Amino acid sequence: MKSTVPRICQLIFLVLFLFLFVQTEYRGRDEISAAVNAFFRVDPLVLLSYLLATKSWSWLLLPALLMVVATLLLGRFFCGWICPLGTILDLVTVKIRKTAPIRALKGNTKYWLLLPLLSASLFNLNLSGLLDPIAILLRALTFLLHPLLGLVTREGWVGLYRAIGERRDTLAPAYNLIRDNLLPFRDTLYPLALFSAAILLGIIALERFESRNWCRNLCPLGTLLGWLGRFSRFSRVPAGLCSDCGRCRELCPTGFGQDLLRKEDCILCLECQRGCPHDRISFLPSLKLRESGPLLPERRLLLGSLAGGLLLALPARFRNPEKESRLLRPPGVRNEDDFLKKCVRCGECMKVCLKNALYPASYQAGFEGLYTPLVIPRLGYCEYNCTLCGQVCPTGAIPSLPVEAKRREVIGKAVFDKNHCLPFARKIDCIVCEEHCPIAEKAIRSRDVQVLGLDGRFKTVKEPYLVEEICNGCGICEKVCPLETKAGIEVFAVKNRTPISRQAIVQEEKRFNDPYN
Amino acid sequence: MNRRSFITSTGTALLLAPVLIREALAAREQSLVVVAEGTDYPAITRKAIAALGGMKKFVKAGDVVVVKPNIGWDRSSELAANTHPLVVRTVVEECLAAGAKKVKVFDNTCNDSRRCYVNSGIEGALKGMKNVECKQIETERFRKVTLNGTFLKEWELYDEALSANVYINVPVAKHHGLSKLTLGLKNVMGIMGGNRGYIHRNLEVALADVNAHVKSHLTIIDATRILTAHGPQGGNIADVKVLNKVIASTDTVAADAFATTLFGLLPADIPVTVAAYKRGLGEMNLDKIRIVKA
Repeated sequence: MKSTVPRICQLIFLVLFLFLFVQTEYRGRDEISAAVNAFFRVDPLVLLSYLLATKSWSWLLLPALLMVVATLLLGRFFCGWICPLGTILDLVTVKIRKTAPIRALKGNTKYWLLLPLLSASLFNLNLSGLLDPIAILLRALTFLLHPLLGLVTREGWVGLYRAIGERRDTLAPAYNLIRDNLLPFRDTLYPLALFSAAILLGIIALERFESRNWCRNLCPLGTLLGWLGRFSRFSRVPAGLCSDCGRCRELCPTGFGQDLLRKEDCILCLECQRGCPHDRISFLPSLKLRESGPLLPERRLLLGSLAGGLLLALPARFRNPEKESRLLRPPGVRNEDDFLKKCVRCGECMKVCLKNALYPASYQAGFEGLYTPLVIPRLGYCEYNCTLCGQVCPTGAIPSLPVEAKRREVIGKAVFDKNHCLPFARKIDCIVCEEHCPIAEKAIRSRDVQVLGLDGRFKTVKEPYLVEEICNGCGICEKVCPLETKAGIEVFAVKNRTPISRQAIVQEEKRFNDPYN
Repeated sequence: MNRRSFITSTGTALLLAPVLIREALAAREQSLVVVAEGTDYPAITRKAIAALGGMKKFVKAGDVVVVKPNIGWDRSSELAANTHPLVVRTVVEECLAAGAKKVKVFDNTCNDSRRCYVNSGIEGALKGMKNVECKQIETERFRKVTLNGTFLKEWELYDEALSANVYINVPVAKHHGLSKLTLGLKNVMGIMGGNRGYIHRNLEVALADVNAHVKSHLTIIDATRILTAHGPQGGNIADVKVLNKVIASTDTVAADAFATTLFGLLPADIPVTVAAYKRGLGEMNLDKIRIVKA
């Protein structure tokens, strides 16, 4: 890439994206001021599918509305100046030798992707996040690349300890710097990790056929922006190839398949202007709207997409009730349907989750719930005083709540399995679950019970029991249950997620001075 | 003195000598528990240490010292789930003043370690101090140790605690659902790795096993405020009682035994204390413990 204003801008946004990605993590403060959700908040595809699916408005998406207005005025500049995936493609494409473009991807393919997605949203199935370029990039980073970086670095660090022991401490400052600023806090293995990375790699592999193959032929966000860009007052002069030159065809990364640069294809990268041997090209604002083809796609496409969306939306609703019992959603999600309509499946909540409680659903939530966040308590529990997932959720699918409210939100309810739980099954003391229950009044309590021990003698054991009304389903009990593999207490999903009472978690005013809190 | 009386008295003296010497030694070994009281927590912590003979008695110049507070929970210090940051800081300062080369402060937390270190106030209290490390646990540093105990034959213990010259145990006194109270003996769980919940099935014996292996050179119990119910993590300020006390002893069992009385309980009520006493790890009979107000 040559250093021109658009290219520098691209790099700045790519760095910003990666910086915000790394910042989407607990850094010693309860609030995250800047997170990578900013990129979704300006994403018109997220906005449009949200509006169609929920049929309601959220102020969180105001920046995306501004992006729509900007695109209407300027054209599809997002793709050429901002999109981090586009920048990555521009960076790698120069290393990839091209064969011929794939004919099958030409024509209306991109509309056949975008419109059924939007139509399905209208029928309450919001899958746009699956194909949103920023979400694709973020998922590959969150589920595979970042954990991989952490794993490799940490294994090296541990290996060093095994080799030289305490003497490793002399290198600790350097490692701590990397650990605190770059690595994930702990190494997590995610389901769908390879799949997520494979999609990104697939998009990069498409560069073998032509540059920005994904962007010009598939990307639903790009297609949407391109369609909005048709109304732009800002266009290239001359619009077509000059009869004596034609160099633009080589320079243009997206549009000059035909002899005319269509506005919906132009990403305003300005490469043609920079490379023109005759200095003929300029991008000028004009009051006149220059027509380029019909504004709406053909009727067959519209109707087909509408039907396609409906066909997609109905069967996706199928849910296996068995699996639904463990379909635990992040705190604050009270209604499953509402959640599915809003969730972008970007993976940010899973990236930020303190205790790695959240994992992408692969099969648990059906096709409809692919990549949506799922609490798996045996792997990680929801930290009582943490509100990060709500803070980073771009669309408010997980609401951002003050900590007092979040503590009371119900994820599920814990249930003892008396065939496994030690005091019941083996008549011995344990109650690690009670110890860890964070509710001030204790949702898990225990009572002394006279039982006949397995040795035939009477003894007293502490039997735990659940006070269901004040259990918020955080799952710490299931996580810390000292039984191997299957826990003796498990959290199950509930339909009624009315928050637990304020009294249960009451914390009175501070009574005495404490210099450090 | 004639020959007869000389022989008699010498003989008696010889016969009695071992008994007398043993008695004299026993008197010197009698467990000493110091209790300091006041609202200035650094001052009472210092006073308690001074009454035991000063930190120099435990820490020699160039020593690596581990100060092991309770940082187990994501709770603010007023909720009495973690050791008070001022007590921890003062102990660390005393160690440095005594010439410690390095003081390491850590705990294997129950909640997220980052949040525990921050919200307990302990990380903040130690910030910027030279030669002080307040690192979160690094799992590779756990190593399997042969305990040959009654319940635990071996367990993973934290290398830094084992390799330190001096190990100072700084628990907070609080209620616990299973063991009734958690004090000095139970605070050792913070250097244990692995599936710690496993030991709950025979907690008092397991803790005696570990404490027999890892002796605290000095135990300083933070009872500036104690958690009287819903322990060990509490969460309700109504369960917190302000006592403004710091207890110190070289005998963890004795320190625990005295701290038990602050809750209106007797040492014999606490199985962990009883098991450690029976193992010979210290004295739990209050009438055999010398209690000194500092």
